[in-house]
Amino acid sequence: MLEVVLNDRLGKKVRVKCNEDDTIGDLKKLVAAQTGTKAEKIRIQKWYTIYKDHITLADYEIHDGMGLELYYN
Amino acid sequence: MANRTDPAAKSIRGTNPQNLVEKIVRSKIYQNTYWKEQCFGLTAETLVDKAMELDHIGGTHGGTRRPTPFICLILKMLQIQPEKDIVVEFIKNDDYKYVRVLGAFYLRLTGTDIDVYRYLEPLYNDYRKLRMQSADGKFVLTHVDEVIDELLTKDYACDIAMPRVKKRWTLESHGILEPRKSVLEDDFEEEEEKEENEQMDGVENGGNDEKDYHHGRSPTRERDRDRRPDSHRYRFASYLLQIGIRFIFGSRWWLNCFLQDRDYDRDYDRDRGRGRDRDRDRDRDRDRDRDRYRLRDEKDYGRERDRDRDREREGRDRERRGRDRGGGRRRSPSRSRSRSRDRKRRRSPSPRKNEAEETKKKEKKTSEKKEKKDDGTDHPDPEIAEANRIRASLGLKPLK
Repeated sequence: MLEVVLNDRLGKKVRVKCNEDDTIGDLKKLVAAQTGTKAEKIRIQKWYTIYKDHITLADYEIHDGMGLELYYN
Repeated sequence: MANRTDPAAKSIRGTNPQNLVEKIVRSKIYQNTYWKEQCFGLTAETLVDKAMELDHIGGTHGGTRRPTPFICLILKMLQIQPEKDIVVEFIKNDDYKYVRVLGAFYLRLTGTDIDVYRYLEPLYNDYRKLRMQSADGKFVLTHVDEVIDELLTKDYACDIAMPRVKKRWTLESHGILEPRKSVLEDDFEEEEEKEENEQMDGVENGGNDEKDYHHGRSPTRERDRDRRPDSHRYRFASYLLQIGIRFIFGSRWWLNCFLQDRDYDRDYDRDRGRGRDRDRDRDRDRDRDRDRYRLRDEKDYGRERDRDRDREREGRDRERRGRDRGGGRRRSPSRSRSRSRDRKRRRSPSPRKNEAEETKKKEKKTSEKKEKKDDGTDHPDPEIAEANRIRASLGLKPLK
């Protein structure tokens, strides 16, 4: 289990608990549940790498406490 | 300049009509090359030409959310605001299905409630296939009536939020609209009667169907299936009401049938009213679905099915007796029956695949049961319990 921090630099900063084998799509659903935006509208990035929905967090090497950028589609 | 709404256009729902499309999606469309090249200076007439060239629908796709030409044309229509007659013409035209869907979409966005129901509901009878591009870029198959259903029931389609329309029954209760009469209603009632009659006969007409199965899908069946994609919903309701007790061949099997829409449609077209055959056909369908690209040993298959048929007949008589006596569901006879059929199916030409599916199904069942028990919502730490509750509601496994 790990905790990821999503920040959109406009005031929304959420901490989400998830598993390593969750996909990015699942993470978006969790973020949507916490922030209230729709999951399809969320985009998770790291600098210019847009994270794809079907790849797991472990494959993206996202560890506990890591910060990700939250953007909107 | 090119992105400004026509100044003569009236405001929709109190705002610039282009604002119906959200800001981010709108900016994406403005930056899109299709918009810049093809949609510059379009009028209502030239828009028709562009619409005829459409070959798929969809919203935005990919990581960077590229818009489809469909959605670009929607925004263009919002910008130039064609007359209602033109939009109705789009919808009424029969030749170009994408133009139809474009018109329907635009009307759903801009029309009044009555117009929406009045013009979109006839499109429920259009069963043609459409190509839809999903959010990850892949193309999926859908049908015109499915799209119309989405437009009328959901509040989000093709990445555009649908404005609220009143519910149908509100309008009906005010007398503004007539209650909806489906074109399939008469067919449906006929079939129900036929089913009930023919179940009593118990005539085995499997021969013709067999041949058809072996030669793959015949063109007539394709057409039938295309013609009736909506009937499965009514069918399922009818089954639940009338025949639910009788066809208890294990709930998994039902689940399987319900999930495999394709099988379902195929069943309907072929087995109009032949209850007995329907069961057999479902078995066969499952096998066929799995072994479609494998050579089949026809003799063995025929023999298998004869045995199945006899077994089923016994089972059904047993069932009927049971129902007369006790009523209600009996899990054990059905389960044993399905197990014997499972064993039978396993001996059919593709034993390995069948087994794999059976075990997968069993695993899924046990894992589902397990998840229900320990999905973590009873975790001592309240934060984790809360997180697990949210995860369970989203359909995810609990935290580790």
